Amino acid sequence: MATAEVSNTKTLKVKRFKPSEDPKSTFLTEEKGLWAWLTTVDHKKIGLMYLGSVTFFFLLGGILALLLRTELLTPAKTFIEADTYNQFFTLHGAIMVFFVLVPSIPAALGNFVLPMQLGAKDVAFPRLNLASFYIYVIGAIFTFIALANNGLDTGWTFYTPYSTDSSSSVIWVTLGVFILGFSSILTGTNFITTIHKMRAPGITWGKLPLNIWALYATSIIQVLATPVLAITLLLLTMERFLGIGIFDPAMGGDPVLFQHFFWFYSHPAVYIMIVPGFGIISEVITTFSKKHIFGYWAIALSSLAIAFIGFLVWGHHMFTSGQSAVATTVFSFLTFLVGIPTGIKILNWVATLYKGSIEMKTPMLYVFIFLFLFSIGGFTGIMLGSLAADIHLHDTYYVVAHFHYVMMGGTLIALLAGLHYWWPKMTGKMYNEFQAKIGAALIFIGFNMTFLPQFIMGSQGMPRRYYNYIDQFTIFHQTSTIGSYILGVGFLLIAFYLLRSLFSGEKAGSNPWGSRGLEWQATSPPDLHNFDHTPVIINGPYDYHKPMEEFQLGLADVHHNGHEPSHAAKAAAEEVTN
Amino acid sequence: MSGNSHENHHHVSTAGQLWAVGTALLILTIITVVLAKFVTIPAPFDIITAISIAVVKAGLVAAFFMNLYWDTKFNAMLLLMAVAFFMLMVLITLLDTLYRVDVVPSF
Amino acid sequence: MANHSTSHPTHVQHHFVDADQQFDSAKMGMWVFLVNEILFFGGLFCAYIVYRSWYPELFTEAALELNTFWGAVNTVVLIGSSLTVAMAIRSVQKDQIKGLKINLLITIALAIVFMVIKGFEYSHKFHLGIFPGEFYTFEGLEHAKAPIFFSIYYMLTGVHALHVLIGIGLIYWIYRRAVRGDFSSEYYTPVEITGLYWHLVDLIWIFLFPLLYLIE
Repeated sequence: MATAEVSNTKTLKVKRFKPSEDPKSTFLTEEKGLWAWLTTVDHKKIGLMYLGSVTFFFLLGGILALLLRTELLTPAKTFIEADTYNQFFTLHGAIMVFFVLVPSIPAALGNFVLPMQLGAKDVAFPRLNLASFYIYVIGAIFTFIALANNGLDTGWTFYTPYSTDSSSSVIWVTLGVFILGFSSILTGTNFITTIHKMRAPGITWGKLPLNIWALYATSIIQVLATPVLAITLLLLTMERFLGIGIFDPAMGGDPVLFQHFFWFYSHPAVYIMIVPGFGIISEVITTFSKKHIFGYWAIALSSLAIAFIGFLVWGHHMFTSGQSAVATTVFSFLTFLVGIPTGIKILNWVATLYKGSIEMKTPMLYVFIFLFLFSIGGFTGIMLGSLAADIHLHDTYYVVAHFHYVMMGGTLIALLAGLHYWWPKMTGKMYNEFQAKIGAALIFIGFNMTFLPQFIMGSQGMPRRYYNYIDQFTIFHQTSTIGSYILGVGFLLIAFYLLRSLFSGEKAGSNPWGSRGLEWQATSPPDLHNFDHTPVIINGPYDYHKPMEEFQLGLADVHHNGHEPSHAAKAAAEEVTN
Repeated sequence: MSGNSHENHHHVSTAGQLWAVGTALLILTIITVVLAKFVTIPAPFDIITAISIAVVKAGLVAAFFMNLYWDTKFNAMLLLMAVAFFMLMVLITLLDTLYRVDVVPSF
Repeated sequence: MANHSTSHPTHVQHHFVDADQQFDSAKMGMWVFLVNEILFFGGLFCAYIVYRSWYPELFTEAALELNTFWGAVNTVVLIGSSLTVAMAIRSVQKDQIKGLKINLLITIALAIVFMVIKGFEYSHKFHLGIFPGEFYTFEGLEHAKAPIFFSIYYMLTGVHALHVLIGIGLIYWIYRRAVRGDFSSEYYTPVEITGLYWHLVDLIWIFLFPLLYLIE
């Protein structure tokens, strides 16, 4: 029996547990059937259910986007009415922000990966985790009720006074998003507690994977910001029910106050969307460079710094709303500060690549796409943050392009990187690498074709959310529309080969990428309890210079913690001497 | 992990302690009502006194009823963080609302 | 940790190592949830502060319509209920299940007293025509923005009252479980975290009272 120093105070007996390459039972083979899935408290199944719902909403939001782009092929009416157009862009925004981007990485991938990276059997509150999924579903149902009845045409920001006067079903959607917010809050609460209390022996704060640091920062934002959205939407609902007048200028209220409240959540919310993406990038970039991350603490703490600074800058959405000049100036200055921690991250990722043995697998390809697109998104953000430039660019396609470069080029590309990275772990199957690369290329080309022209027409004055435009912009709009079709084809291809891999994909080993991350030391797909031993960690998650055996340790006392060793694990368990 | 925190959270307050805190809260409530209704304090000090008393009361509840005094410091930090972010929200919003040229823009 | 390997009592869920880890996690989770509650009320307090900084005279005038006496009584009632919740936790820590049940019942009774007084306050205002927002018909106040003051008043006290109602439900649930014999000094996590929630409801009221009733 080998012993390992885990902390200064305790000595634990450990031995090596090599993950089985041919697991007898996995979380997919146990507790089968529809009812078992719907009532499961297993974080992996809940993660997959979220992934399914997010994909469904992404499809819906994506179809709306393609319809919008098709309408914009010609300067005047192409095939839908102006009112329908307003509803489509509102729903596209609301669905993509609240139902796709916010839950996508934390609730879908995060749920699956977080407990495994911590060596835990589950999140701290498994039943609460299931409850937050159903709260998400209820929120979705409310939104569908709105869709069936009058739709919504306020824009995803619900600005007063239009949202208090609009004849569309604002109340259903605000209530839907209000309910959805609780799902986000509960997930955040669950993750914070899990990260604090459920770490396997040896995982100190300095040995947490950066994905966990990112999810930690995200959860803090979720807990601190989402309740303010909840109360804002409650006030807006009351404004429509009772005419309470706090935000409605007709009643003597102040619409700009609504914008303050709304952006106090919604600006930090863009960090809820992007910061978990940063976590995925850190994981993927080290795995495919086979190299220790450059600047571990710089990346870990910059996530927290972004979370904090993100709370100070909301007013840069309101430069032209009539807020005071003092506030505007302060917000502009603070906005520039966000660039610092973000720049630190980009620098550290690029430095991680330096002299690494880079393997251009699909997830890594997405990391490079991310670095390219997100940097463009970030730099144009700095331009929008500067006061004078923003007065010109505010509410033009420049903002639309910037937002899509950071949210789609950032979050969604990171999500694709993570999805391709963890797909073998989640399903136990490999996808077709060649088709995946074609898919990534289509996404990259389609994305840039769609959104680069929008920067140009935005800077020339094309306002966002307009149904018509002058002839001068035709060429940009048409390029953009064709780009969006290419993007659509790219996503269909991804859906095709991922689904195909489920049926005819090659079997994935427990660690196809040779990663040192703890989640890769479980079988693929993992056991119902993730590991059949209690993992013990002695190295950091990116110590690629250390042998794999040192990452496969677990408590020697296999009966500890209620883990019953499977036969496979017993056979594979061998003693190490190090 | 959490093995060494055993002595932290199973603190049992004595009935005397709890009653003392309850009484202190009652007395502070009486003081704040008397100060507000029967003593004229010039503005803005009236609000400052009332809020200061409320903060002391809240501190007593948090420290002794909610056990933060004996609990792990992290939970106390969570409470302070919530208060800090609330203050941040108020202060930055006031940066706009107090300095508008026209309180409610007339359109 | 390794020395806990033999004991895994029934109230400890399978994914926790031991009862301590479960208790600490539940408590921390509740605190994180309370952070979110504070920010939730924070939005309303922020609206209050902004409007009070704009129209200080409105707040002085309108606050006269609120009854300080009943506000103070309600403050005392809530403080008392917080005390009984703390006593309930003390009882269960000392395995005095009878004391736990009695203290929980007193808490529920006090909470109901709070709601009844609140109900009288509301109905008195409705009688005068002080409704929120556009339904406001009261003529006793000159100020043009008077409806907004009462909108803020109703939102703050209404959301707080909603929390009291939820609290009554939770404490009743804890009481039922106590009757069923679920709790002992070994396991009282739900009592502890429900207690934390109830104290927060008290904390919010401690600020609402001077901010709404004690403006002179």
